Amino acid sequence: MFEVMMYDGGIYRSDELFEMIEDVGGVVLQKNRSSQMLTVIMSVPGEDREEISKLCRDIGGEVKEVPLAGTEIAVVGPTLGRHHMPHPICDVAEILRRAGAVTVVMGLARGRGKNTSQISAVEKGIIDEYDACVVCLGNFKPCVEKKTDLIKDLHVPVVLVSGPKPEGVEDTYDALVTGVGRKAARMKSPEERAKLDEIADTLEEVLKDRKLSIEEDPLFVHPAEVKQILQEYEPIDMCLRPSPMVLHLDGLRIKIPYNEHREYLENVMVYGRKLGEVAYIEPSRIDDSSVIIRIKTRSQVEYEDSQKQ
Amino acid sequence: MEIEVMGDDPFGDAAYQKLFEDTMSDLNKAVLIDRAKLVLRPATPLFIFSLVLKADPGNKTVVDVANVREESNMTYITITQERYAPDILRALWTTYGRNRVVQQTRFDIEVANAKISELQNMIIASGEQDLREIMGAVWRSMPEGIKNRRTLIDGGVITVIATEELMRPEMMEEGRKVHESMLGGVAGV
Repeated sequence: MFEVMMYDGGIYRSDELFEMIEDVGGVVLQKNRSSQMLTVIMSVPGEDREEISKLCRDIGGEVKEVPLAGTEIAVVGPTLGRHHMPHPICDVAEILRRAGAVTVVMGLARGRGKNTSQISAVEKGIIDEYDACVVCLGNFKPCVEKKTDLIKDLHVPVVLVSGPKPEGVEDTYDALVTGVGRKAARMKSPEERAKLDEIADTLEEVLKDRKLSIEEDPLFVHPAEVKQILQEYEPIDMCLRPSPMVLHLDGLRIKIPYNEHREYLENVMVYGRKLGEVAYIEPSRIDDSSVIIRIKTRSQVEYEDSQKQ
Repeated sequence: MEIEVMGDDPFGDAAYQKLFEDTMSDLNKAVLIDRAKLVLRPATPLFIFSLVLKADPGNKTVVDVANVREESNMTYITITQERYAPDILRALWTTYGRNRVVQQTRFDIEVANAKISELQNMIIASGEQDLREIMGAVWRSMPEGIKNRRTLIDGGVITVIATEELMRPEMMEEGRKVHESMLGGVAGV
């Protein structure tokens, strides 16, 4: 079983860490270097966790828990206008990144207003590509209750963040955090920081259910292993976009054009099978410069095999 | 700045008071506002934001925001309201050229061969510009989707009435009442 952890420390002797990750068969999920400081989010086999933690401390760094690592989360606001940005949407995205998630901030094209707010099918499709979404709504109870119409058809887990507690709309979200609402200043007071932590904890709890359901019917191959296989592919290796490969709970997002690389991706071999046979490979709904891979479960692959015979 | 909030949503009322204060402070407009009344009816939706300004937003000349003294062929200007310093410099440079304008310190400027009478008529900031900026700040603090707005302005009192779809006569009537209640507290209007 792979476990995800984060090294936070200096660049000094970090090559030893990378060597050890490679030796134990682990994979680097994300690497951020800022001057002489380095953070590495890695996925390593559970039995080698202790050894890697020891090395991290030996080379002067520390090991942090990153409960949301290996997930990509959409933080959705009514619009990207100055009324809703950057606070509190960016504050929420920041705290989720600290917990290890890759976050995307998204505004709806026509999400403003109470009676006139709308979400399009394309926007729903884009949000459904992520592992979960955090939707930030406003300060007034009737507005929040009315705007839950926007999120009722989403298929991914939804954490609703609002000011007052809405009533009669409990079936539209998976978890609720109240007391935030619309803000014009950074969330930096102790109460507000506690509220941000509560959002991260709530999201972790929501994703725990999803992880448990994946454990009951495991994926044919862990997304981190697919990442390891694909990281040598030159277009991905040479890709200049931040985090060219982003892990999801059930697959990954690869930031290379779908049309040009579909054939290679479908035919790459994973445990003796073509990736195209054990995963759905689709263009992203945002545009065709990204590919979404959703790995099938073992039972699904076995069922499809039995149908072929 | 004194803010009175009238609404029926306890969380929203407190949040909007803070939001209004933060937005006005961010945009440097809090110093211009004496008091404000916010009527919040999200269920309708109807929002009425009424402000009483500390001074009428009229045109400002150099002598309004600085002390001016003329000696022989030199005029000395001492800026008393710092926020107009860039506007004064810009106006002096435009009128007299950079060679004749010497900035001795942050607030002290010397101008060669300038007449006080000229400075009395030199407009450095228009009231319209101030008003536009205050209106922008009010719109920013209002909910984003509340786009149907009407504005009432009388001297230093500005009232913005806003709703999402149709502006009904009773909404305008309520806005006018709030506007008049604020006018009552302004001396000399």
